[in-house]
Amino acid sequence: MLTTIEKILFILLALVSAGFTVHGFKTIIDTIRMGRPAPELKNIPASLLKAGVTVLFQQTIFKARKVLSAIHMGLFFGLITYAFVNLVDALEGLVPNFDLIYSGKHLSPPAWTVPLINAYNLISDVMSGFLLIAITVFLVRRFIVKDKALAYRENVLLNPKVKAGGQAKDSLIVGVFVIMHVSAHLMSQAYRLTEGADPFMPIASFLNSIFGASQTGVHVAWWISIGWVMFIIPYLSRSKHTHFFMAPINLGLAKQNPRGQLDPAIPLKVIDGRKYDPGAKVITDLAWTRIMDAYACVQCNRCQDVCPANFYGRPLSPSALEVNKRYLLKEATFGSHPDLLLAPLTETVISPEAVWSCTTCYACVRVCPVGNEPMADIVDIRRRMLIDGFEIDSGVQNALQSLATNGNWMGKGKRLRGRWAKEMEFPVKNATEEPVEVLWFVGDTASFDERVIPNTKMVARIFHQAGLDFGILYQNESNAGNDVRRVGEEGLFEQLVEQNMAAFGKAQFKQIVTTDPHSFNTLKNEYPQFGGKFEVKHYTVTLLKLFEEGKLTVKNKLSHYKVTFHDPCYLGRYNGGFTAPRKLLELLGVEFHEMPRNCENSFCCGAGGGQIWMGKVAPGERPAENRIKEALTTFERHPNEKKQLFIVTCPKDMVMYSDAVKTTGNEGKIEVRDIIQLVAEAVGVEEVSQIVG
Amino acid sequence: MNIVVAIKHIPSIADDLPVKGNNVDFDSVDFVLNEWDEHSIEQAVLIKEAVGGTVTVVGVDLIGELDNALHLALAKGADKVVKITADDPAADSHQQAKWLAEAIKGMGADMVFAGVQASNDIDGQIGPMIAAYLDMPYIGGTSAIEVSGNTATVSKEFPGGVGMKYSVTLPFVAGVQSAPKPPRYAPVSKVRQMAQTATIEKVAPTGEASAGLAFKKMAPPVATGHAEMIEGSPKEVAAKIVELLKSKGLA
Repeated sequence: MLTTIEKILFILLALVSAGFTVHGFKTIIDTIRMGRPAPELKNIPASLLKAGVTVLFQQTIFKARKVLSAIHMGLFFGLITYAFVNLVDALEGLVPNFDLIYSGKHLSPPAWTVPLINAYNLISDVMSGFLLIAITVFLVRRFIVKDKALAYRENVLLNPKVKAGGQAKDSLIVGVFVIMHVSAHLMSQAYRLTEGADPFMPIASFLNSIFGASQTGVHVAWWISIGWVMFIIPYLSRSKHTHFFMAPINLGLAKQNPRGQLDPAIPLKVIDGRKYDPGAKVITDLAWTRIMDAYACVQCNRCQDVCPANFYGRPLSPSALEVNKRYLLKEATFGSHPDLLLAPLTETVISPEAVWSCTTCYACVRVCPVGNEPMADIVDIRRRMLIDGFEIDSGVQNALQSLATNGNWMGKGKRLRGRWAKEMEFPVKNATEEPVEVLWFVGDTASFDERVIPNTKMVARIFHQAGLDFGILYQNESNAGNDVRRVGEEGLFEQLVEQNMAAFGKAQFKQIVTTDPHSFNTLKNEYPQFGGKFEVKHYTVTLLKLFEEGKLTVKNKLSHYKVTFHDPCYLGRYNGGFTAPRKLLELLGVEFHEMPRNCENSFCCGAGGGQIWMGKVAPGERPAENRIKEALTTFERHPNEKKQLFIVTCPKDMVMYSDAVKTTGNEGKIEVRDIIQLVAEAVGVEEVSQIVG
Repeated sequence: MNIVVAIKHIPSIADDLPVKGNNVDFDSVDFVLNEWDEHSIEQAVLIKEAVGGTVTVVGVDLIGELDNALHLALAKGADKVVKITADDPAADSHQQAKWLAEAIKGMGADMVFAGVQASNDIDGQIGPMIAAYLDMPYIGGTSAIEVSGNTATVSKEFPGGVGMKYSVTLPFVAGVQSAPKPPRYAPVSKVRQMAQTATIEKVAPTGEASAGLAFKKMAPPVATGHAEMIEGSPKEVAAKIVELLKSKGLA
C-alpha cells in the first residue's frame, strides 16, 4: 500500500520510536535495580504465568467497583486486540496488496484460514467500538463527572506536578490517542471497502456507507493510526501508563511471604557487602519490588477508598504515596533532578503525619489490583524515623518506653500481668512451672485493662469448664510485639521476641492459643523466623473445636439476640480467620446479619499499628464510629425487638467499639460484646460475682 | 562545654511497692531511672548539640543493675558514663549526693545537672548537696538552660504562668524540672548496640554523708477517706454541694 518514500519514512520513524521506547524502559529497569534486595521470590516463572492468567481474566480489579472494572476489562481486551490490529496494519502498509477485507480475498488464502480471517475482522471491528465506548466512559468520569474517587484530600502531600494536574494530562493524552488511533484505524478499513459492506466489519462498513472508499483516505487514516502508535509507545514509559506493562509484571513479583510477615528492616540478602541502615529514608532504601510498585500504579485509588486513615480525614493516601514515588523517580531519571534520589521520603513522598496515621490494617495492599504494598513502605519509613530520632507522638513514646522496661505498653509492672488469674475461683496453671496442653498467650489489653479483664476471666472459666488443660506465662509473658514492629521499633520487637522465646523455652506445651489477633499474627507469621516453631490458634478456633468435640454444649439458644460481627484485621484479612467466629455464632443460635464491609473487606477499628497508643486524637468521625453506624444501618434492614449486639473477638475492639457506641450516642441501641460473653451465656457459665453474690 | 549529669536509680512504682521491715523490699522490686533525670539528660544533650562539648552521666549503682540506664543515656547522646559501685539499695539521697560529688570532683565540670527531685524520697536534695560539696552555686526547678560563652540563661516556671530568666555564670549545679523538649526516644537497637560496645567507667564510693534521714516505719497507705456519691437531679445535687461547702466553712 505504502509508496517507497512512505516506507522509508515509516522505517525511520519506527526506529526513532523504538529508540525512545528502549531508552524509556531501560531507564525504568535501571531505576528499579537501584532498590534494596527484596525478600526472596520463589519460582518466578510460575508466579508470572499465574499473574498473566489473573490479568487476562482481570480478576483482581473486581474486588471493588464492579461496573468500572467491567469497563476496564473492555479497555484491556480492546488494547490487547489492538496489539494484533497494529501488526496487521503494519503489514498492510509494508506488504504490497496485503489486506484482510472481504475474507482476505485479495490474498487468495487457503480455504481453512477464511473463518479465521473473518473472526479477526469481526473481533477487531467490534473491539474498536468497545474501546471507543470504554475510553469515553473513563474520560467522561474524569473530566466531566469529576469522580471524587480520583481526587486527593487537600491535606495529602502531593508532588507539585501531580497537584498541577500531571495525571489528568496523562489521561487526556492517552484518551485522545485511543480515540484518534481507533477512529483512524476504523477509517482506514472503511476507505478500503471499494466493493461495499463486509458483513464481518459492521462498524467499518457503516462508516464506508457514509464516507465511501478512497485510496488517499486509506493513506491518511493509516498514517494517523500508526503515527500515533509510534508517538504513544515511548510516551507510555514516561507516564502513569507504565501501568500497561508494569502492572502484570508487578503482580507476578508481588509479596509471596504471608501477609502477616513484615519484610525485615535490613535486607537479609546483602549485595557486594553493602551496609544497610534499617528502614527507609530515601527512595532507594526501598526494596526493588516496591520501587516497581510506583510504575505499576495507575492511581485508581481503590486503596484510598478502603483506607481507614483516609476516611478519618488524615493526610494519608496510599495511592498518593505511589504517584509521588513515580514522579520523584521520573524527575530524577528522565528529568534533570538526580539529587531527588537523596531527598527524604518524608518531604517528597508522604508527610510525617501521614506516616503516623497508618493503622497497618492491610486493606490497601489487599485491594490493590496490581500487588502494590504501600503499607510496607510506611513501616520502613517509620523504622528509619525512629532510628534517626524524629520526634514521635508522646503516647507512642510512653508505650514504647513501658514496653522496653515492663514488657507491656500500659506502664504496669510485670508481676501484675497474672493478677486477674490469681483472682479466679480455680487455680490457673503457670505454664513455666508445670506442663500444659495449651499455652494461653493472653496479651496486654486482656491482662491489664479493667474493661476487658471480665472477658479474660470468662475465657478462663469456659476453658476450665470444657476441661481444657491450659496455663499462662504470668510475669514471663511480654507483649508479643506485633504493633511494636509495625510502629517501626524493630529493636524493641526483637527484644520482646527474645523475652517471649525465653519464656516459651521454660514452658512445656503443645499449642499456643491467644485471645488477641495481633499477638496471634506475629506469633504465627513472624516468630518462626526467630525459631518459634509452634502451632498457634485464635481462641475462636479453640472454642469451636471444644463445641465440635462435645466438650462444650449449647444449653440456651441465644435467639433473642440480633448480632453482627466485626472481623479484626489481624484475624481476618491477615490470617483468613473468617469462618470460626461465624460458625460459633451459628451454633449459639443468634440472629446474624453481615455488615456490608465484612471478611476481607472488613473496616479497621482504627487501633492497629500503634494508633491505640497515640496521645493526640485527630478531629473527625473515627473509623470505629463509622463502623458502629454501619452496624446499626445493617440492623435497620431487619427490624424487630431483639437486643442488638456488635460482636468482637479482639480485646482492642472491645475498647474501641465500646467507646464508639458512647461517642456516637448509641448506648441502649447497640451493645458491644466479646464472643466469649455469648458463649458463656449459651453454655450456662455466668459471672462468678453473680453466683456468689 | 563539659556537662555532668548525676542520675538516680529508684524503685519502680509500676508494680505494687513491696514493703519489708521499715523500708522497701528491694529484692522484689525493679529499679528504673528517675523520671526527672531523663529530663536532665535531655537538657544536657540539647546544650551539647547547640554549643558542642561532652556529656558525662554518673550514677550510683545500688543493686548492680544500673548498666541499662547508662546504656540508655549513651543511646540518647551522652558521651561517657560512670557508675559508682555501691551495692547498697538503701543508700539515701544524702549519701548518694556525697558519693556523686566525690566522683564528679575531678571531672572539671562546667555544669552539673540533677533531676530536681525523685519520686522515691521527694526531698530534692541531691542537686543542692552536690553543689554544696563542690562549692558551686545551685539553681533548682529549671525548665530550660541555654549556654553562651561563660554564661547560662536559665528559665524557671512559677505557679500562675509566671516565668523567670536568670543569668548564671559557669560553673554551677542545676536541679532540672524539665527539659525544653520532651526527652527523646532511644531506639532499643541503639541501646543494645551501646550495651555491646560501650565501656562503663567504675568508681568506688568514697565519703560519708554528713547528715541524712532515718526510716522509722514504712507501710502501705491506709485508705482513710472515701468518696460519697450525691444522688438526685442536677438541682438537688447542686444544692447539696452548696450545703456541704457551707458546712465545711468553705463558702
